[in-house]
Amino acid sequence: MAAGCGRSERRGRLVSRGPDAGERLRRLLAIMPWLAARGTATFEEIGERFGMDVATVENELLLAACCGLPPYSPDQLIELVVDEHGVTANVPDYFRRPLHLTAADGFAMLAAGQALLAVPGADEPTSDAGSSSGSGSGRRGPLASALDKLADVLGGSRGVAVELDAPPLLADLRSAADDAERVEVDYYSASRDEVTTRAIDPFAVFAERGHWYVSAYCHRADAVLHFRVDRMRSVRPTGEHFERPDPASAAVPGAVFRPGPGMEQATVVLPAAARWVVETYPTTSVEDLPDGSLRVVLPVSGRAWLERVLLRVGPEARVEGPPELADVGRRAAARVLARYAGATD
Amino acid sequence: MPDRLARLTNLVALLLNARRPLTLEEIAAELDPEAPYPGADEARRQAFERDKRVLREEGIPVEAVSLDGEGGRVGYRIRPEEYQLPDLDLTADERIALHLALAAVPLAGGWGTAAGWKLDGGDGGAGGAGAAGDGVPDVAALAALPSVEALPSLFDGWRRRAPVSFGYHGEERTIDPYGLLFRDGFWYVVGHDHAREALRRFRADRIEGKVRVGAPGEFEVPEGFDPAATLPGQPFRVGEGEAVDVDVAVDAVLAAKVTAEVGEPAVREWRPDGSVVVRVGVTNRAGLRSWVLGMLDHAEVLGPPEVREDVAGWLRAVAGANAGAAS
Repeated sequence: MAAGCGRSERRGRLVSRGPDAGERLRRLLAIMPWLAARGTATFEEIGERFGMDVATVENELLLAACCGLPPYSPDQLIELVVDEHGVTANVPDYFRRPLHLTAADGFAMLAAGQALLAVPGADEPTSDAGSSSGSGSGRRGPLASALDKLADVLGGSRGVAVELDAPPLLADLRSAADDAERVEVDYYSASRDEVTTRAIDPFAVFAERGHWYVSAYCHRADAVLHFRVDRMRSVRPTGEHFERPDPASAAVPGAVFRPGPGMEQATVVLPAAARWVVETYPTTSVEDLPDGSLRVVLPVSGRAWLERVLLRVGPEARVEGPPELADVGRRAAARVLARYAGATD
Repeated sequence: MPDRLARLTNLVALLLNARRPLTLEEIAAELDPEAPYPGADEARRQAFERDKRVLREEGIPVEAVSLDGEGGRVGYRIRPEEYQLPDLDLTADERIALHLALAAVPLAGGWGTAAGWKLDGGDGGAGGAGAAGDGVPDVAALAALPSVEALPSLFDGWRRRAPVSFGYHGEERTIDPYGLLFRDGFWYVVGHDHAREALRRFRADRIEGKVRVGAPGEFEVPEGFDPAATLPGQPFRVGEGEAVDVDVAVDAVLAAKVTAEVGEPAVREWRPDGSVVVRVGVTNRAGLRSWVLGMLDHAEVLGPPEVREDVAGWLRAVAGANAGAAS
């Protein structure tokens, strides 16, 4: 049957629903070219591709079927045909091309592309891509060549640079995670300033805030922990394999450092020049003092972490509490100073 | 109440098909009476302004043209060649690679979502039916990048070669944006600062308020410009003075990490206990101090003597600070 517009019945029935008008328009203007390219799709397929439930898909498409050009006679409306195979849209020419990339689209595409290019091995050339790129460097992967093709619509391909660190053991951990192989690692814990050896089951390797992490079940801690890959000193295969957990319990970026409720809190007064501390680490509270200094409450992830912060800020930092932390900076300074007791080279 | 989406969709269709700019009165007269603008002048104007704002926020290039010179009537249209995404001419592999990148590197706020939709659209001529991507890969996120509100506008400035203006530490700055850089968890914009007449970089998350994008085509990005090359990677390389070579001993526990950071050529000596001595060019003493002290007692400045004394003096000050003060 043709999903006719049923124009007069619709009067007074339509309500504003869900997302705002801009977001709905964005979807609709994307669905039409997609349908035009595909020919036919079910409501379910459309819903899955564009993140909508079936009822919403139906509503939006029925609404689109009432749109078009003056005088809005049936021949000027977007034509929708629904049958047992799904919906076929006869999309008018002017809606057959997607809207040009917006600034946010272009930024997201270039940033994501450059980030993935920064991951070793993430853009392997496919067998025919190498030969088709001809005289240029023949070893480029499909992502690199796609970004080159997008350069015209994006304004170039080098406007966004993404750096992820490239720790030496990244590849070892990624292949262990891919193969579900248990590994033994020597791990340097910066917050405790110690190296420990542990068997871990690496579930997933991911980058967040520019650093690589592995989310793994740690047999020593009997818990799923996130380890910084650049703090691994060695990774040894064990030959044993583990059962992969269901994806929901494995790593999700965003879970890296969250101050726990029971974590010790330090109240520190920092000089104005040490505002970087507030911008770098999670804080519980920040208070601007009249002289430009800051009183901050910081969750303390480890004694060594606090030492590091205090030494870097310098003599003007003052720990107000708790009392057992008041001396941390002075003691750390004295300990490091011991290395400077000898003569210089 | 008719659905506003119907009016917006009809408005886009009408303006895309307009042979000449249409006035608000013409638009209101033409639009579907089932999803019309209000009859009263003021209400109509306001409703149209709201719709126009939504269209522009969605990136639809609504052009406003003055019809009878200064202060006269304004006409509106959308030029199809500006609205439509050109044919990207991507192979199947390339399209999948882009989808994969968008899925593997999500940006907070879902900025990449609509970009992915657009990759699959387009009538693609004869091969149209096969062009729509069924092969959108389902992959876990590999790297998460933070979103900062200023980024799309800064990117737009770069893309159009349009100067951008914004507030930064309470001051108004205007730059020609040469590029964006993500490093150490932060986004930076790098560009030519008009007032300073020099290359400057700004943390995007410290930009205050909205970024205003100026007229396009106002500058050229220097040939071969690389945003990454403008920002020294290590704190001790920030600054423009003459570099001083400084030797730093690093204990075994951090030796591999530091070697990876400064590069193998900087290594002067591997010691039997696994520790390493690296020589680094320092243009920023405070940055060096911060870097070395970040390693606590696992690192030591060996020389030259005045640099070593600089760190030791700092440590003596910290060790003696507020000694005995009740706090």
